[in-house]
Amino acid sequence: MAIEFALPELGENITAGEVLRVLVKPGDVIGRDQPLLELETDKATIEVPSTVAGRVQEINVNEGDKVQVGQRVLTVEEAGKQESGIGKQESGTDDAGEAAPSRATAADAQEAAQPSGEGPAQPAGPPAAAPEGGVAEFKIPELGENVAAGDVLHVLVKPGDFVERDQPVIELETDKATVEVPSSLSGRVRDVHVKAGDTVKVGQVIFAVELSKPATAAPPAEAPPPPPDADRAPAPVVAPSPSPGETERPRAEVFDISRAVRPAASRADRPAASRAEAIPPRPNVPAAPSVRRLARELGLDVGDVPGSGPAGRISQADVLAYAKQVITSSPTPAAPPGAAGAPTLPDFAKWGEIDRKTITGVRRKTAEHLAQAWSLIPSVTQCEKADVTALEALRKRFAPQVEQAGGKLTVTAILAKILAAAVKAFPQFGASLDLAREELIYKKYVHVGIAVDTDRGLLVPVVRHIDTKNITQIAVEIANAAQRARDRKLTADEMEGGTITITNLGGLGGTHFSPIVNWPEVAILGVSRARMEPVWVEDGFQPRLMLPLSLSYDHRVIDGADAMRFLHWVVEALEQPFLLTLQG
Amino acid sequence: MSNTAQLVVIGAGPGGYAAAFRAADLGLNVVLIDEEANPGGVCTYRGCIPSKALLHVAKLLSEARHATAWGIEFPEPRLDVDKLRAWKDQVVAKQTSGLGQLAKLRKVRSIRGRASVVDAHTLTVATYEGGEETLPFETAIIATGSRPTTLPNTSLGPERLLDSTSALEIARVPKNLLVVGGGYIGLELGSVYAALGCEVSVVEMTAGLLPGVDRDLVQVLQERVERVCKSVMLDTKVVQMEEVVGGVKVTFDGRANPSEQVFDQVLVAIGRKPNSEIPGLERTRVEVDRRGFIGVNPQRRTAEPSIYAIGDVAGEPMLAHKASHEAKIAVEAIAGRKVAFEPRAIPAVVFTDPEIAWCGLTETEAAEQGTPVEVAKFRWGASGRATTLDRNDGLTKLVIEPKTERVLGVGIVGVGAGELIAEGVLAVEMAALTRDVALSIHPHPTLSETVMESAEVALGESTHVYRPKRATATSKA
Repeated sequence: MAIEFALPELGENITAGEVLRVLVKPGDVIGRDQPLLELETDKATIEVPSTVAGRVQEINVNEGDKVQVGQRVLTVEEAGKQESGIGKQESGTDDAGEAAPSRATAADAQEAAQPSGEGPAQPAGPPAAAPEGGVAEFKIPELGENVAAGDVLHVLVKPGDFVERDQPVIELETDKATVEVPSSLSGRVRDVHVKAGDTVKVGQVIFAVELSKPATAAPPAEAPPPPPDADRAPAPVVAPSPSPGETERPRAEVFDISRAVRPAASRADRPAASRAEAIPPRPNVPAAPSVRRLARELGLDVGDVPGSGPAGRISQADVLAYAKQVITSSPTPAAPPGAAGAPTLPDFAKWGEIDRKTITGVRRKTAEHLAQAWSLIPSVTQCEKADVTALEALRKRFAPQVEQAGGKLTVTAILAKILAAAVKAFPQFGASLDLAREELIYKKYVHVGIAVDTDRGLLVPVVRHIDTKNITQIAVEIANAAQRARDRKLTADEMEGGTITITNLGGLGGTHFSPIVNWPEVAILGVSRARMEPVWVEDGFQPRLMLPLSLSYDHRVIDGADAMRFLHWVVEALEQPFLLTLQG
Repeated sequence: MSNTAQLVVIGAGPGGYAAAFRAADLGLNVVLIDEEANPGGVCTYRGCIPSKALLHVAKLLSEARHATAWGIEFPEPRLDVDKLRAWKDQVVAKQTSGLGQLAKLRKVRSIRGRASVVDAHTLTVATYEGGEETLPFETAIIATGSRPTTLPNTSLGPERLLDSTSALEIARVPKNLLVVGGGYIGLELGSVYAALGCEVSVVEMTAGLLPGVDRDLVQVLQERVERVCKSVMLDTKVVQMEEVVGGVKVTFDGRANPSEQVFDQVLVAIGRKPNSEIPGLERTRVEVDRRGFIGVNPQRRTAEPSIYAIGDVAGEPMLAHKASHEAKIAVEAIAGRKVAFEPRAIPAVVFTDPEIAWCGLTETEAAEQGTPVEVAKFRWGASGRATTLDRNDGLTKLVIEPKTERVLGVGIVGVGAGELIAEGVLAVEMAALTRDVALSIHPHPTLSETVMESAEVALGESTHVYRPKRATATSKA
């Protein structure tokens, strides 16, 4: 019997990846958990292990292909197909061979002793579950964003039952919906640890199963779902997911649906029931009542859903696909930042005298822009201090020279030059993210925005081509730009096109702060006041002038480790100005 | 004083009891207030259920008479009105006591009495036993239903003047009866009295019976009504009614001839009006429109957030099945579920002989809205089943969206139309195409085949209708 192996779920929010290498070829005999593909995803490069065993018949993907979760990767001729499923499961331990039986039994006993499932979870890596004939535990899989627990309405299996993968085993009421949770395992149920009325958490063990060997009757058993804390191992997360070849078992859909629905449901929930109420009834849309109801539950207007059926009839699948699309295409609510969607303000006058003032153009623009950046960018701020004792001596020494040229040799000017060099070394810090096209845009120029405090509010003039200018030129340009900003002479295009931004509050003090990334840029460097501090150098404290730096960055584009490397590069450049000439 | 109820339902008709039961099933603590001992409401006590019991008898009588044509002759039936009434009462009692049982099993607290509103979270109930109970609540559902509209300025006593409630009591079978109003209630009750041997006349103000219903459907019914009744006076108004010796002298204005006639009894069935005059309701933000309907949103919530309204009191159509559907919507909305009242097809059935039933868009509505539609009709003359029943007086039609061939509405006249319409509801709700209906195998020989055949007519493929060319297939059958 041929079985298809489809790309399993790879982790939260990962729907696809690019094939770097195919590790097997037709004719190979593969075992379960054997790596099949090397896949580059948004998160990491991972090896995708097999959930099936047998001889590879056909490989459906090539290196360089982009594959979606659920897409068929290869087909195998299943080994031992003549064997009866029931027989296998009865004498399972014999076939499992190796160390599996004893290990699994021990693990089972241990888990049974602590049915809460908080105990040691199965390692996520390849040897995770006794592949066949052993005992595995079925745990509550992830139920959706922000759904951590649910109440058991019905337990649909009892000890001794034979369950198949995707067979509903428990009916759970979460605060989002009532869901049937399908099994990710096949085999005979041993111990059931929960009963109706219990509150169960994601990851909690529901029952133990004597795994059946993959046989003609039963679909292949699979590793139990990994522990919810997926960061414990870099290995790919092999979540239970039906492969597309399973259409003959409609139950397989159930799991898919609940998964697909989740993010939508949680999103729709947040604006509260009023959102669902706000959607007008759509009796004339060609969708069945159940489909209309589903759309409403997801917070969608069924009238917006494109129907794929005859004469545009909308199916449940259409609604789910649309929900998915809505989620991926607009990560933020479409409401204008800070305006609609904001809760109603209380009447402040109740508590004392107030005064209302219209916000000015700059303030309004700032509010809109920052609110947009804030809601759009998952940002992280990293802090560090640079020893600028030596730099400060140099700055003082050369300041008169720059002043003669018409500029002011400030830390900002020096940092602008350093940042430009740093962006050259770490190009992703000057990139922009095009989610719609799934592309990163790298710029071959470095224009640095300089945040300027004016009496009208915050303005960010952009100094262009910093990488081709020396610090004196930069200092002059910054001085000019700042003056123009204060004189209200800046034009809109002088404030556009930045690659990265510096915001220096050092003149006012402070230690660290968390600047907001100036979208569509991906990083911003905040500078606070340099202070003389005792620093342990070699064998004693020395007074050193320390400059606090706060780097905020778009975590979608930049990883924490890279940010630290970038920040260290900047710190080193400040501490060893010679490096700039050497590397910059 | 009792604890705060999570939900109070005022009125235990098909809307109210459905709401109370659903809420109890969802785990709410529910109080159900009604003037009757058991749930059921007008529908069960004085409406749908007793009238259908009597209509069943009427059908039997009319078929027995019809049987002469098939070679079976019965002697003229002897009618024991008291026994008939007792049977009808027994039907009602069976239904209502069953509902009472269900309420008990669900631990719904029933209070027999009349509710008044104190504020948006408090009611008082004047109980049947004579006391008064204050009832604080979190949420309330008003399901007080409707009552027959009465004619103004009549001094006739109940012996002569009937409404739908007293007509169902059948105190006696009058010699002759004037039914004022050619709507569904008048026609249903009129046909019961006609079958019981009473000479029935119908007077209707507008130009046709069953105003608003597609004419081609009404036409089939009207032919039979005119045979069964002594006279059907359309475009005619009742100007005056006056008690005289031996009856009521009625003066008509219109096509009645003569314009003054004397009737034994007069049944007024000119519509129903919502029971929204709940004492104290004005102390809340609940809005009542000019016609007496309580304004509600798609969740059936009124302008007062803690108060919902369903059923007849919350708007047209005043039908029991609409009320019970709204009940579920309202309760689920109260329970925090994301639901809305958004049916595409609320079926309507007139239980006359033959029955008329329709759902979704009617041809009349399409014409009023200017919506272009195709109409496919299948006359029952070509239905084998109708022929075996000797009832070829029927018509099934589909109202179709031309571009998509989607079924937007279904209309049926004929025996059993009320049962047949359910398929139409499903087709419309599921956004079925005529092709879907035509390709679904229907059992032979049944009247349900007429639904399939009308879809085939639309496609120009009907087995039992000969059409030379497809181009004409969807016009008139």
